[in-house]
This record gives sequence, C-alpha cells and structure tokens, in this order.
Amino acid sequence: MNRYLSLYASAAYAFLYLPLAVLAVFSFNASRFAIWQGFTWHWYVEVFRDERLIEATIHSVEIAICATIFSTVIGTLAAYAIWKRRARWLTNSLYLSLVTPEIVTGVSLLAFFQWIFRFLHVQLGMHTVILAHISFSIAYAVIVILARLRTFDPALEEAALDLGANEWQVFWRVTAPNLLPAIGAAALLCFTVSFDDYVTTSLVAGVNSETLPMVIYSLARRGVSPAVNALSAMITIGIGTLIVAAEGLQQRGARSRP
Amino acid sequence: MSRLRVAFLSPAAIVTIALFAIPIGIICAYSLLSRGAYGGVILPWTIESYRRVFDPLYAEILWRSFVLAAISTSLCLILGFPLALYIARSKRRTLLLNLVMLPFWTSFLIRTYAWMFLLRDTGLINTILQSLHLIRQPLPLLFNDGAVVLGLVYGYLPFMVLPLYATLEKLDPALLDAARDLGATPWVATWKIIVPLSRSGMLAGSLLVFIPCLGAYLTPDLLGGGKTVMIGNLVQNQFTTARDWPFGSAVSLLLMALVLIILLRMLSRQSEQLL
Amino acid sequence: MNRRVFLLAVSGAAAGCMTEHARRLNVYNWSDYVARDTIPKFEREFGAHIRYATYESAEEMLAKAMTGNSGWDVVFPSNSYVQPMREMDLLAPLDHKRLANLKNLGKRFQSPPWDPELGWSTPYMYGSTGIVYSKQAPQPEGWRDLWVNKYQGRMTMLDDPAEVFAACLKRLGDSVNATAPPELKSAEALAIRQKPLVRAYINAEVRDQLIAGDVLAAQSWSITAQQAIDQSGRLAFVYPAEGFPLYCDTAAILRESRHQELAHEFLNYLLRPEVAAAIAREMRTATANEAARHLLPAKDSENTTLYPTEAILARGEWFEAMPPAAQRLRDRLWTQIKSA
Repeated sequence: MNRYLSLYASAAYAFLYLPLAVLAVFSFNASRFAIWQGFTWHWYVEVFRDERLIEATIHSVEIAICATIFSTVIGTLAAYAIWKRRARWLTNSLYLSLVTPEIVTGVSLLAFFQWIFRFLHVQLGMHTVILAHISFSIAYAVIVILARLRTFDPALEEAALDLGANEWQVFWRVTAPNLLPAIGAAALLCFTVSFDDYVTTSLVAGVNSETLPMVIYSLARRGVSPAVNALSAMITIGIGTLIVAAEGLQQRGARSRP
Repeated sequence: MSRLRVAFLSPAAIVTIALFAIPIGIICAYSLLSRGAYGGVILPWTIESYRRVFDPLYAEILWRSFVLAAISTSLCLILGFPLALYIARSKRRTLLLNLVMLPFWTSFLIRTYAWMFLLRDTGLINTILQSLHLIRQPLPLLFNDGAVVLGLVYGYLPFMVLPLYATLEKLDPALLDAARDLGATPWVATWKIIVPLSRSGMLAGSLLVFIPCLGAYLTPDLLGGGKTVMIGNLVQNQFTTARDWPFGSAVSLLLMALVLIILLRMLSRQSEQLL
Repeated sequence: MNRRVFLLAVSGAAAGCMTEHARRLNVYNWSDYVARDTIPKFEREFGAHIRYATYESAEEMLAKAMTGNSGWDVVFPSNSYVQPMREMDLLAPLDHKRLANLKNLGKRFQSPPWDPELGWSTPYMYGSTGIVYSKQAPQPEGWRDLWVNKYQGRMTMLDDPAEVFAACLKRLGDSVNATAPPELKSAEALAIRQKPLVRAYINAEVRDQLIAGDVLAAQSWSITAQQAIDQSGRLAFVYPAEGFPLYCDTAAILRESRHQELAHEFLNYLLRPEVAAAIAREMRTATANEAARHLLPAKDSENTTLYPTEAILARGEWFEAMPPAAQRLRDRLWTQIKSA
C-alpha cells in the first residue's frame, strides 16, 4: 500500500507543480506572449530593474508576515478556548467570515475604515491591509487548529491538573506543544491566503501599499510581463531551496542528538 | 478556567466584532438603501433589493454554483486524503507539507494563465496528444465547466490537505499495527480506522474548500470562458460593472445566511463534536 | 534635552515634513499608461516625489475616490466617468492658465462631448472596439459577420456587458448608448442567438490565443489588437461597418487633493508633446495629443488600427454614462445571456 501511496503522492505533486513548470519555462521566453520564440535571460534582469515589482514584493511579504503572526496567535488562543467550551457566536461569525464573498469583505472594510478615519485623520495604507488580512485569516487558523484539538485527549490535561499545574501551565506545557503541527499548518495557510489576496487588498489599500498581486492584476490588461514569471520562478526556487535546506539541517540535528 | 478563557477569547472576539461584525452591519445597511447612480448607496431606505433577489434566474445561478462547488470539494477530498496520509506517515513531514503550499505563493492569476496555456487548443496537452497520434482534432479542454472544476480543485487542494494532515499526523501508528495483527489488510485498516478517525479534518477541509469555491469568480471567467455565471461573479458584477451595491449586498447576505443554515444543520446532524 | 529644545526639534521636524509634503504627489492611473521615464523625469525637473499606483477597473478607482479621503491627487477617469464624478463633486476644476499645453490636443479633443470646456479633465489616450481576425479566415466586414458560422466556434467576445451590448445594438442600427428597454431586450435576444458560436467571453487574455491561432476572430479593443498584430503578421483589425464604440481616458485632479498646484503642473507636463509621444510610442496606444502624434515615427502615427482615419472615426460613437434604471436592466439581461 505504501508503494501505491508514494506513487500517488508523486503524481499529486506533479499536478501541483505542472503550471509552475510552464511559467518557469516561459520566464525564459523571448516573447511577451505564451508562444515560444527563443531563449533569453532578459526577464530576470528586468525583475531587478523593476522597482515597482520589488517594492510590491516587499510589501506583500511584510503584510503576510504581520497578518500571519497575529492571526495564528489569536486563532490558536481562540481555538483552545472554543475547544474548552463552545462559543457558538464566535465560531458562527468565523464561518460567516469565510462565506463572505471577497468583494463584500473588501467593500465593507473600506466603508468601515472610512467611517473610523473621519475621526482619526488617517488614510488607507499598509495598516488597513494588514488589519483586513488578519480579519479574514483568523477563521482559517481557528478551523485548522480546532480540527486537531478534536483529536486531542482531554485526559492529558486532567492528568497535568491533578499533578498541580495551573491552567496556563497546562496550556503552555501540555497542549500547545501537542498542537505545534497544526499551528504550523495554520500559519502556512494564513501566510498563503494573505500573500495571494487581491480583491480585498485592492479595495483597502491606499497610497504606498501596493502588493504583488495588485501589480500583477493591474498588468493583466496589457499582458502580464514574463518578468512576473521570472519573479515567481525565483520565489519558488528560492523558498524551495530554503525549505529543503531547513529540512536537511533539522534531520541532521535530530540525528546528532543522543 | 474562566479567566484564562476570557483572556484567550477576547483578542479573537475584538477582531471579529471590529473587523467583521461592524463592517457586515454596514453591508446590511447598504442592502436596505437605494443605489447611487454610479455606485455607492443613497437614501431612502427600501427592501427593493431583497425583492429582486427572488428571481428564478438567480436561483438557477445559486444552484449551479452549489453543484460545481460540491463536485470540486468531493474531488479535493478524494485527491487530498491520500496525499495528506502520505505526508502524515512520511519522515519528512514539514518538507512535504511546505512543498504542497509552495506553488500557492505564485499569484493565482499567473497560475490560471498557465492552465489556460496547458488546456488551450494549441496548448501543451493537446500538442502532446496530437504528436503521439492519440487524437486528430484538439480536445476542447478549455472554456467549459470541466476546466472550471479543474481550476477550483487545483486552487483549493491545499486547503483540504492541511487540515487533513493536522488530524492524520496525530493518529497513533500503533492503531494500524494492532489492526494488522488482527489480520486486516492495510487498505481495510485505513478505511475502517483512519478514515473514521480523521472525520474532523475532512469536515474542516471540506468547509475550507467548499465555501471559497462557492464565491469563486476568476476561475469561471478565465477557465470557463465567462460562459457560465457563478454566484461569485454575480456579486462581483454588482460592485463593478453593474454599480448596484445594495443588490450586491443583499445577494451576498442571503448567500451567507443560506450557507450558515446549511452548515449548522449539517453539523448538528453529523455530530456537534466535530466542529 | 530641555523642553524648549525639544519643541524646536519637533517643530523643525514638522516643518521638514511639511516642505517635503508640499512636493509630493499621489498618482493613480490605469496600468501601463506611462513610459518608463515619464515619472522619474517629472520628479527630477520639479523636485517632487510621486507615489504612483495603478488600477485595472474604473470602478475600483471610483469606489476609492467616492470616499473623499482616498489620498490620491491625480486620477485617470474614462470619458464616461467624467460627468458622474463631477456630479458627485469629486473633481477639482482645472485652471487653464496653468495648463498652457492644452493647445497641443487634437481638434477633436479640444471640446469633447463629455467635457466641452475641458473644465475638469484633460484627454489623454483614446481607443475603440472592433474586430481582430486572422487573415487565414474570411475577413469580417462588420459585427454581423460574428453571427454567422464562419469561424467554426473559434470566435470570442469581450467579457464586458457594455461592449457586447454595443456590438448587438450597432448591429440592430441603434446607438451604443441606447437605454430604452425594448432596444436592450432585442440586443439581449441577439446576444443569446450568438452564444453557441462564441468560444468564450474574454478580454485581453484572448491575445495569446489569437497569436497561437486558436481563435480566428475576436471582438477586441484596438490596443489589445495592436499588441497581437505586433506579434503575428497573420492578424489584422477591422472597424465594423455598422459603427463602433469609442472611449477616451482623461487625466483629472481630485477635489480632495491638497496639492492642486503640483497636480496642475503634472497634468501640463503630461500634455507636453515629447512626453505624450514617449508614452504613446512605448505603450502603443493612441494619444489625444496631436502635437505628440507628429513626433511619432510614421509607422505609429499612420497606423490605422490605433489612429483610424477621419472617415472611419465618423462611424464611431463615444460611450456615455448609463442612467441607473437602464444599467440595472442591462445587468439583468447580461446575467441572462451568460446563464443561457
């Protein structure tokens, strides 16, 4: 069975990476269009000459990191509290926030921010984008972590309490370590959702807060430049290498431990 | 417990109230106002938008969206489960999990364009099939509902894999060993033991896939060739080309209410325990 | 640090901010609508700092401008948005004394129907909608050719209600700005009849498929068509015989802007012949600036896809803002076309 499973997994990864392979190939295409016309490094040079693309990438990373940290922490705490005792109104609101069409999230937040800003003399910008991203990624974090908690045996907590730990210690020492894989998965999900959001972001973004998806969508009318493909290929390969290297280090660390 | 619980809940509660409940309240108000000539809303108050929602045309769109979202969700579950299982059993879990997410750090639009290239008449798939003489005429792969489902499955597969992984990772391998000792084949053991135990992950994953699929608008436009309307397109259009914010608000509020009712009924019937 | 020094430092810093602030301009434009050096050159010459960002739908820009606190100074509404934005009091009046370069505009754009006095907007680039087709397929003459099965289902229409309705209305002999329900309904019936022949409703993305030969004929904006033609000699563009829609993007200053003077300087700068010519050359669009057009190489300025002749232009019709009731009906009909 394991053999079938790994065969299947390879196929699944191939499916996930097929479009990426395509755009990696086209990042070397001499033409702007999806018709092969010869090899060039031109677009890779172009990425580094395009300040707007670089600035937007930096914005996107900053926003995604902030949003991920906040929503994962808030989401973990909330999921734990909900698991302890149901909070129907909160879980329902979180589901509802998932159901809300993106554009409605965007329009409603835009209206809300404008209403608040009348009193505060602030304008749309990075902060509004980060707030918006936190608001829609919390639900993802809560759902993933809650799913894990449902498989967690409360007896472990009771045992710790019996041994004299207080509630905070129980959470921090017993439950949270057990949740780590789910917290990691949730953070990964939040980062991804934030990094690729376009509709909501474009509505709540202001001066000086253009994100990568915003640049890419705004290019669509005239044809997305292969420089974007080149950038995507570099991000994928760069982060891919980091992931593999981190894994290698971890494996080595694990082996060297007694 | 109560003080810790309050402390744990309040950040989420504050964010939810400030950044979700109040803004949605504004949308409720929008849905009851009249449309501004060029977008936005103006007085007087009216229930006109709600009256217009009950139209067989929109019911049909809603139904089609549900069907497409349901098909995509089932496919994600079928395709995602073995993958999550494989990752959960692997020694390199973090690596494999990260590799599932990595493609999604490339803009959705760019990946959709790549699919358009793969699927079109002169695209990679048709070219390969033709050069192998398997087909004579190019297959119509792009601009139909099949392409929409493909795009949705591709776009939301990780949303299924992550929660599944989060539950599967927890399962004790000893359970399987025990089953094997009792004479079950690995397939039977998986079906009888792992599948039931990962139900909470399946449910969470299905939610995370089904709901965004329902609101998708770019996939039907680009891979479906704009020849079908999903509920996401309808809402999107109201806020853009149609400039009818009250109607767009009313449609999305009804959609939200409908999905919530279905969810609650489904959950209460299934098992309160799961979510 | 004693209190006075502190106050001094703070006020100094504030003054520093202020002076820097005064030379700051936030420009919100359509994507790919300036040349690579347009902005840097302006910054150097006027000692200003420009924050430049782009949108891809007029509604996105409008939604933000309508808040009255968007932070943008200069925006680029399409011609049909100028009147609505004026009515909503979003635009600042233009001071012609500071726009000496207005004289460079073409005659047609000195007094355009949407803003005859040019009191609120300055025409920037214009374009139209027609049919791009492969020379290997039968040549279309007008919209009516998109209703017969010449292209074996390898034909696309734009994914935009205004455009599809414009084509249908023109085919029926009506105005692209028709608002009467019977006219809109017969246009809808026509579009539904056409749907089996339509491969997709798709906008600029059709370009790749035209070049690759998947699509033989497409309703298309002249700019998109020109990009495809540049890539493939097999393609050509035709202005439909029945008439076609025209649109013009304009530059305007938001009323909320606190940098009116610099904004005027920016508008005037964009109207300079050499600046406008550089943009038109690099972006392959049609400039409304006649003096700039004379600076372009002949292959650009005499390109009939971008710059239709006067005889052809006479068949064109400017898009206008649609009244709410008609727009609501049109959206309902559009949804019906898409669901048919």
